[in-house]
Amino acid sequence: MKKAATMLLALGMAVACISPAFAEDAEEFNLRACIASEPETLDPNLESSVDGATYAMHLFEGLMKYSPNGESIALDGGDSMDLLMPDYGQAESYEVSEDGLTYTFTLRDGIVWSDGQPVTAADFEYSWKRIVDPANAADYGYILNGVVTNATAIQNGEAEPDTLGIKAIDDKTLEITLEAECPYFIGLCGFAALMPLRQDVIEEYGTEWTNPGNMIGNGPYVLTDWVHDSYIEMTRSETFYGGDAGPDKITWYLSDSQTSMLASYQGDEYDFFDDLPTDQIETLTASGDAHAAPQVGTYYLYLSAKNIPDWRVRAAISLAIDRENITDNVTQGGQVPATGIVAKGISTSAGEDWTEVYGDVTTKALAEMYPDYDLETYSGRCELAQKLLEDAVADGYDTTATINYEFNTSESHKAIAEAIQSDVSDVLGLEISLNNSEWQTYTNNLAEDTFGLARLGWIADYDDPITYIELFTNGNSYNYGEWVSDEFTDLVNQAKALPGGEERDALLAQAEELMFGENGYPVAPLYFYVQQYCIKSNIKHAGWTPLGYFVFSNATKE
Amino acid sequence: MDMIAYVLKRIGVSIMTLLLVAAITFFLMNAIPGSPFMTEKSTPEQIALANAKYGLDKPLIVQFGNYIKNYLHGDMGVSLKMQEGTSVSKILFSQGKFTLSIKLGLLALLVAVLIGVPVGVLQAYYRGGWLDNFLRVLTTLGIAMPSFVVATLMLFGFAVSMKILPVQSNSLTTPAAYVMPVITLALSPFCRIAKLTRTSMLDSISQDYIRTARAKGLKTKIILFKHALRNSLIPVITYLGPLTAGIITGALVVEQIFHIPGLGDYFVSSILNRDYPVIMGTTMLLAALIIFMNLIVDIAYKIVDPRINIIKKGN
Repeated sequence: MKKAATMLLALGMAVACISPAFAEDAEEFNLRACIASEPETLDPNLESSVDGATYAMHLFEGLMKYSPNGESIALDGGDSMDLLMPDYGQAESYEVSEDGLTYTFTLRDGIVWSDGQPVTAADFEYSWKRIVDPANAADYGYILNGVVTNATAIQNGEAEPDTLGIKAIDDKTLEITLEAECPYFIGLCGFAALMPLRQDVIEEYGTEWTNPGNMIGNGPYVLTDWVHDSYIEMTRSETFYGGDAGPDKITWYLSDSQTSMLASYQGDEYDFFDDLPTDQIETLTASGDAHAAPQVGTYYLYLSAKNIPDWRVRAAISLAIDRENITDNVTQGGQVPATGIVAKGISTSAGEDWTEVYGDVTTKALAEMYPDYDLETYSGRCELAQKLLEDAVADGYDTTATINYEFNTSESHKAIAEAIQSDVSDVLGLEISLNNSEWQTYTNNLAEDTFGLARLGWIADYDDPITYIELFTNGNSYNYGEWVSDEFTDLVNQAKALPGGEERDALLAQAEELMFGENGYPVAPLYFYVQQYCIKSNIKHAGWTPLGYFVFSNATKE
Repeated sequence: MDMIAYVLKRIGVSIMTLLLVAAITFFLMNAIPGSPFMTEKSTPEQIALANAKYGLDKPLIVQFGNYIKNYLHGDMGVSLKMQEGTSVSKILFSQGKFTLSIKLGLLALLVAVLIGVPVGVLQAYYRGGWLDNFLRVLTTLGIAMPSFVVATLMLFGFAVSMKILPVQSNSLTTPAAYVMPVITLALSPFCRIAKLTRTSMLDSISQDYIRTARAKGLKTKIILFKHALRNSLIPVITYLGPLTAGIITGALVVEQIFHIPGLGDYFVSSILNRDYPVIMGTTMLLAALIIFMNLIVDIAYKIVDPRINIIKKGN
């Protein structure tokens, strides 16, 4: 009897030791999510990653914020995610001067930091000056360049940060002056890197101001714990003006192992994660766990103008790629074949979808130049591709040269590269060698332009077509293929000097079309992104901004 | 005296080795392309600014000199990328990364030795019997299976399907969190130690002195555990040096799969991120650990078998 009791006691102790791992307070709603591994920083000014921005959007709030607009956006029609659109945040209202160059924001009443001190216009002024200060080497230091007065000069070290066009008129009034009219400026005011910050806290704690206990935020959540490389814990702020909606606590697990993430989700230790193993997408979709949300981003290939100087060869390669095959059979996540470099989801000045207004620009100019070919069909595009290559060969292009295709190490990039290699070989008979390298080496190779083809993806920073088109102007550091077109660059510069409107849209559309015409094709857009994610069916009203951020501050649990 | 001279000599060599490791690591990591400040959207101007901020614009030899000088003063620099601005020593020690990895590694080592040696002895004792044959198959299987396969099988069996163990071990705060990582890490070394002990025991048992002991009528247990086992342990001890290194490198996989914020996972990330001070700090720490373990193993040699002369050549 005594022995049995001892055994029972031992068993009880063992269970007690194990059970805390699974124990959950029935009253507390702790949302457990994993969106990335350890962030480089939680300092809004210094972060540059999607995960860093996501954390900042929970801990801080800018002049503008993202709020649900009542739409659900899962591609499969589910109600797992609400679409979030720009809305007033810490600002209650704003006025724009007649010339469109001065914005005057009035802050809400009753907004306070997590230590109870009021949020003032000076907190925004400090943060914006801090991000453009070259001494801080912020990744997003350039975000205000060409937008806010003197930002470019300050970044280039030609002016002091204090000369930035932002001024706290009083505690509630903030005045921002622009260098030129900027149609996407209000969108920028909700950007995570431009959140207000407390100068006294940063000066007191230095780089450690982002530690739990030191960090003072003005957002819906407060940082309460951060076990590096393990998890970040946020608890709902008691001082936030928005009331007590959303989870009591959000635990962000930090991992980059897809296996571990999937197992944690299936083992009920996560409610949400967004980095799905490609080979599991079909199964997870069938089980109702995986969903896809449209994301404003384009996956594209650089076609090096230096290493493939004949534009007809570049155009032929672009035409030979079967984009539908890639989205249907390779990526399989609901991606949409690209119709231009500007991503689906970017708006025209009238608020319509850019890609729907301007259609497929990748073949528009060619259709006019070669009206005998049916470029609506893949077989028609292949015929034109062969014709263009023949013309190039007649002018001396050497088809025996192997084209170098560079990509950063990843199973999905590899699968896409192999599909393209096969298409180009089958249609054009050109040989492509595939070379992968890890990210740092890869970006170095990109900068040195040693490639014929190279992949990259671009998620929009703000809702304006210029975020894509500007990348290919002469001398731009992202113009890795070293394409040169004075006409294109002039058009972009003209557009940049104009306020938002039809005229500006027309110039940018003309520029985009020029990229896919004679002497063009610095790039072959492949598909527009979607963001896949898994979320437990009992979690509702999680939020998603098409620029790539998940927001859980309004999420509920059934 | 032999021993003291040897230890002093070995410590001197160890310091030289560490310096060499520092120099090789420093110049090699700077030879690979990339920059800690390179992101999808960073411009060359931004990278130049960040390089200037952290002194990476200076000539390599000057950077190395500064690094060693600061290192000798206990300053391992600050992380450039993964926890920008945080001191490396704080990341490695105050955040508990080193302690976690050591806790996990030592526990796995202990389990491997404490189970491996008796299993090997048992196999030798029952040589050719069903138990020996069964354990031989089992240990061969254990060596052949890569740790990530073992980890994944256990993860999906015990954590995902049965839900009796946690998927994420995190900071190893509960006993249950230890179970799968320790088994994964200890399985292969345990099997190797068992095999090694068995072979070595069989070798010892056939020696003349054991036959003499038998002839003298000593009990089998005394012969096995007092005489044979002591000699059999020498190859096992030899194996402990490389095993320590193996367990540390094995922890890279285990820490990632079971989501343990230890040194191993961090080390790999630091290389991929070109976080130079973190690469240097972690390499130096691991190198020091491995050198120290090898030193301990060599000293243990002498204790187990005093006839071994570890200074003079020809022994």
